[in-house]
Amino acid sequence: MSEAPKPDAATVERFRAVVLPHLDAAYGFARWLARDPVVAQDLAQEAMLRALRYFHAFRGEEARPWLLRIVRNTWSDLRARKGMSDRPLDEIDDRPADGPDPEQSALAGDRRRQIASALAALPAEAREILVLREIEDLPYKHIASVLDLPVGTVMSRLARAREKLAAELSNRLGRKGHGLSDL
Amino acid sequence: MDCPTCEAMVDAYVDGELSATENAAFEQALAECPGCRARLEAARDMSRLLREMPAEPASDLLRARIERELRSIAGRPRERERERVRWLALAAGLIVALGVGWIGGSMLGQGIRETDELVAGYLRVAMSDSGVEVASSDRHTVKPWFAGRIDYAPPVHDLTAAGFPLLGGRVDLIDGRKVAVLVYRRNQHRIALTLWPASGGNTTPSVDQRDGFALADWRRGGFAMRAVADLSPAEIKTFAAAVDQAVAADR
Repeated sequence: MSEAPKPDAATVERFRAVVLPHLDAAYGFARWLARDPVVAQDLAQEAMLRALRYFHAFRGEEARPWLLRIVRNTWSDLRARKGMSDRPLDEIDDRPADGPDPEQSALAGDRRRQIASALAALPAEAREILVLREIEDLPYKHIASVLDLPVGTVMSRLARAREKLAAELSNRLGRKGHGLSDL
Repeated sequence: MDCPTCEAMVDAYVDGELSATENAAFEQALAECPGCRARLEAARDMSRLLREMPAEPASDLLRARIERELRSIAGRPRERERERVRWLALAAGLIVALGVGWIGGSMLGQGIRETDELVAGYLRVAMSDSGVEVASSDRHTVKPWFAGRIDYAPPVHDLTAAGFPLLGGRVDLIDGRKVAVLVYRRNQHRIALTLWPASGGNTTPSVDQRDGFALADWRRGGFAMRAVADLSPAEIKTFAAAVDQAVAADR
């Protein structure tokens, strides 16, 4: 993207109206990418400021996928800057069942905790596409624009991600040949 | 429609990505294919489980941090009053959220009210520059500023060498008593260190975390120390260690 002009007060007001309402989505996506609440807040904040800088290039498309794409790119840059790779979850910390809100998950019982920790344990490629489809509820077309992929690749990647999640869940439950409906 | 086709359409069907014609064809094929009906059930279950997970919205603290940035970019003076009201509402909401959350936490010997007051104090310095009453990185400016404002002399150190530059200080009320608050910075984060004289020996910091927000509680050199920041528990421990080291070097 081109070097941005410094945003003026009118731009900031428009940004507040168009992009800021999607902060929850940006944070939720950041939370699943980073898998850490402190890092996710920094990531969401940096992505928001980057979005403001790029806002002059926003052409009235859907704001949410536009913002989520920036979150994802910001995450790649952060990781590159800090020399982080996408570590397996158990190397990040030793908290059990790291869903977005472990306590709430615990209250809601085993089922939610299992699905949250299974999702958190997936490799980034599978995790991000499942979050975009099932949690952000984006159609294929918008997932394609967030991930910068053709729609056909979105479909095949999503199918693989679902298989991985199902396998991860069976592993966690330590039962062979269970149906998801047993959860 | 043969089964491999039907199978390939299950995901797109669950995702609502089929055209009306494709939908109808799929549903017709499904009626004759128990295998694909099972597959469809499994796909729907998985989707439902994921969608039932509780969403975690952006915290008020994150919102307030972004507001601060937006205001510093666009700052229009005539909006200031409105912004101030909006900020106070945010702060109040955050205090309630954190206070309630911390009731069940491990803050031994620490009242809910004290925690609320510490968080409120933190918000004042974290959300606006006017929250820092004496803005200086020079301890010889900050320390004398407290004389006559509070009834004790807090140890003041610039911790730049440890990665926590001193930004300044302010006076706050904790439990009806005027106390010193020192403000430090770690990258873009701010740390409020509230300290007052307390009897008893040194303790190691106990750290509680909530919503990406950490509070450390310890005693060192005859002072009760409370550090609040939007940092990780590990970072706030590093901060506490830097404070301890500086206080120990004084003696």
